[in-house]
Amino acid sequence: MIGRTAERFLLIFLLAIIAFPIAYALMASFFSPMDFTDSYAHFLPSSFSLDNYRMALGNRYYPQFIANSVITSVIQAFLRSAVSIAAAFAFTHLEFSGSKPMLIVLLVTMFIPPDALLYPNYSTIAGMGLLDTYWGIILPSVFSASSLLMILGAFRSCDKNIYEAARIDGSGDGRYVMQILLPMTRSIIAAVFLQTFITAFNSYLWPLLVTSRMGMRTVQVGITMLGFAESGEFGAQFAAIMMITLPFLIILVIARRKMMQALSDSIIN
Amino acid sequence: MKRQNTKAYLLLLPSMILAVLFSFLPLIQSIIGSFLNVSQQGKVLGAAGLDNYISLFSDKAFINSIGHTFLFLAIFLPLNTVLILLAAILTRRKRRHIAIAEYVFLIPMAVSLSSISLIFREIFRGRVSIANRILSTDLPWLESPGCAIFVLALLGVFLDFGIDYILLLSSFRKIDRSLIEAASIDGAGSLRTLFYIELPEVKPMLSVIIFLAIKDAIMISAPVMILTAGGPFRSTETIMYYYYLEAFRSGNRGTGSSIATLMAILAGLIMATMAARRRHDRENG
Repeated sequence: MIGRTAERFLLIFLLAIIAFPIAYALMASFFSPMDFTDSYAHFLPSSFSLDNYRMALGNRYYPQFIANSVITSVIQAFLRSAVSIAAAFAFTHLEFSGSKPMLIVLLVTMFIPPDALLYPNYSTIAGMGLLDTYWGIILPSVFSASSLLMILGAFRSCDKNIYEAARIDGSGDGRYVMQILLPMTRSIIAAVFLQTFITAFNSYLWPLLVTSRMGMRTVQVGITMLGFAESGEFGAQFAAIMMITLPFLIILVIARRKMMQALSDSIIN
Repeated sequence: MKRQNTKAYLLLLPSMILAVLFSFLPLIQSIIGSFLNVSQQGKVLGAAGLDNYISLFSDKAFINSIGHTFLFLAIFLPLNTVLILLAAILTRRKRRHIAIAEYVFLIPMAVSLSSISLIFREIFRGRVSIANRILSTDLPWLESPGCAIFVLALLGVFLDFGIDYILLLSSFRKIDRSLIEAASIDGAGSLRTLFYIELPEVKPMLSVIIFLAIKDAIMISAPVMILTAGGPFRSTETIMYYYYLEAFRSGNRGTGSSIATLMAILAGLIMATMAARRRHDRENG
């Protein structure tokens, strides 16, 4: 009996630690400037006014930051899925020489940490004249060996006889992929798309390096530069943080089970 | 057969170009660059032999950054491992109220790196910070070297918590139920079942998580930029933050390439060891 109580107590303690930062951020998004500078720290705001949210949305850059992030993340998720689907189809459905070495070359990139390649990649993007462009933000992380691996696994588990039958029927590879293969593996494709979107939307370092114009900053970089903090308006910064976090909290609640499945599969495979 | 060759190569072309252009080529560039004498403008002035490496290791700031990185790792890794293990163990059996706890433990996954760094900066800001109020302490968290690296480690736990928790939890839940039931029929208490049946079963996944955590820890840089910018008194300058300073701020191409080369090798080795261990586990499991 004592074990049960201790267990419950420990769980609640852990939950409090994990939930605290985001709970505090939510509260702070309602703080008035006075609440921040008070001689002792608050947890609850003195009033629940939406001024901070109004101020964040009224900032001349914040909506642009969000647009930049959404556009680059959607393009990256789309391109990564497309590129991985094409490669995975070749590896699983076509006979060609050099298949094994080429697969190894692509998968070896998993062992090369992109963070150690920041400078040469920056030079490449600069050399292509892509600094301060969406393509500069997107291109270096379009290909991902782990995404390829996930789709490869899904395509491998598909019955080859269907492909043979489709070919005998005279339907081309394009039609087979669009009408049979992709619908059969749609949950994995969706997981790759969503995972890429989230990673791209949350990335900080690379977009920071390849953009310098305020109008080109993504929201993760932008929120650290909104300038509210400098003017003592911390509240608006927290409102800005909450507005980009909320959609992901909602996705988490809706897709928890599916995401857990996809994530654990992608590591276990 | 010939026709399929062309088709396959066309389909593989985008992946191959991107992998070469943004992964292999920059790695080779870093390795070669680390043995060259390169001007700030990027002009190659000649071979440098090991000069870049020698000047790197005689640079006090770089040696210090190694110390900070390993101090960070030494705080972060045990803290992270204990917390995710506790969270997963306490929620491993599905019950109705447990589902709520599961959601809460996943929250860190919805919060981005820069958001959580900004939140931490506020929680630990100054002596009147909420952290001091709750803990009834009076610590200058981000203004004193010892405290700042601790806050950074705590931030590291938050960054990895969600994903690590999912992986460990699903590993616990994949254990064959009959093993656990057999143990309880044999009269084993829940603590004995946990230590003798369940923990050995999740060990392979736990080791994957630990390897990934070590790799993430030695590569940490972005949270440093936002939380402390390396301060106070350069006490939170990690190796990769120092790389960023060298390559992008000071324009020291040679030493920058040397750091990149060493860290790429180190991270690659960690990942390769992990992969080898997993293969070993699978063949024996």
